[in-house]
Amino acid sequence: MTAPARYRTEVLAVGSMIPEFREAGLLVFFAEQAPRELHDIVVLHRPSVADSAPEPGDVFELDGERFTITAVGSVVAENLLRLGHVSVKADGAVTAALPGDLNVSVGRLPLPVPGSTMRIVAADHPGDRAGQTEEPS
Amino acid sequence: MAGPYKKVKIAAGRGGWGGPLTIEPTDARPLIYCVTGGGIHPVAQRIADLTGGQVFDGFKSSAPFEKIAVAVIDCGGTARVGVYPMKKVKTVDVHATSPAGPLAQFITAELFVSGVKPDDVSQA
Repeated sequence: MTAPARYRTEVLAVGSMIPEFREAGLLVFFAEQAPRELHDIVVLHRPSVADSAPEPGDVFELDGERFTITAVGSVVAENLLRLGHVSVKADGAVTAALPGDLNVSVGRLPLPVPGSTMRIVAADHPGDRAGQTEEPS
Repeated sequence: MAGPYKKVKIAAGRGGWGGPLTIEPTDARPLIYCVTGGGIHPVAQRIADLTGGQVFDGFKSSAPFEKIAVAVIDCGGTARVGVYPMKKVKTVDVHATSPAGPLAQFITAELFVSGVKPDDVSQA
């Protein structure tokens, strides 16, 4: 069963500092209208689906590699849906340290390239989601 | 030219960090540079109203760092929060963030203040 993507986007350009950030387990995404001065530090992209915000338990997928979303910072919904902006951290944290953080399961994030696809897919239990957001660990 | 310019003091809001910053635009650095998306943020507008600086929407076009009197951001903590301080541009975050992330080394209380609401901006 494949749930529909909440968010789907294609990578346009990868900033010069991204390989260094990725070594630290971090990828910063920003849609293509990002001001020029941010281009070195972000993955620029063009979303084709921006329907809803991620929730813990959803799947973050980059070029087919899947990570479980463990925490969602308080401004992620607004930043992602409005600006295409989110900081993805593969540290498995269950509480977002910063309001813009989207934490995912521990692993090595792929290095995106122009043409890469990033998706956020809802957890496979659409019926359960209405009343529950985050399960305490 | 918009001058004459006036000074404002910008203090950290509740749960915020850094500052206070004193901002005084000049003819060489006239811009209140708003990088929040969705138009000019009320904090940027308030700084412009009190200083006589010129509001500028960073998502509509870009300006050189040397023209920026202050950058107003709504960063959740990693990217925009560091870029402007890295270039020695005074930076106001409307979210209550503290220095963190790979650019944290550039974020100092002399350059950065967070958690700012319009009421935290006052004539100096």
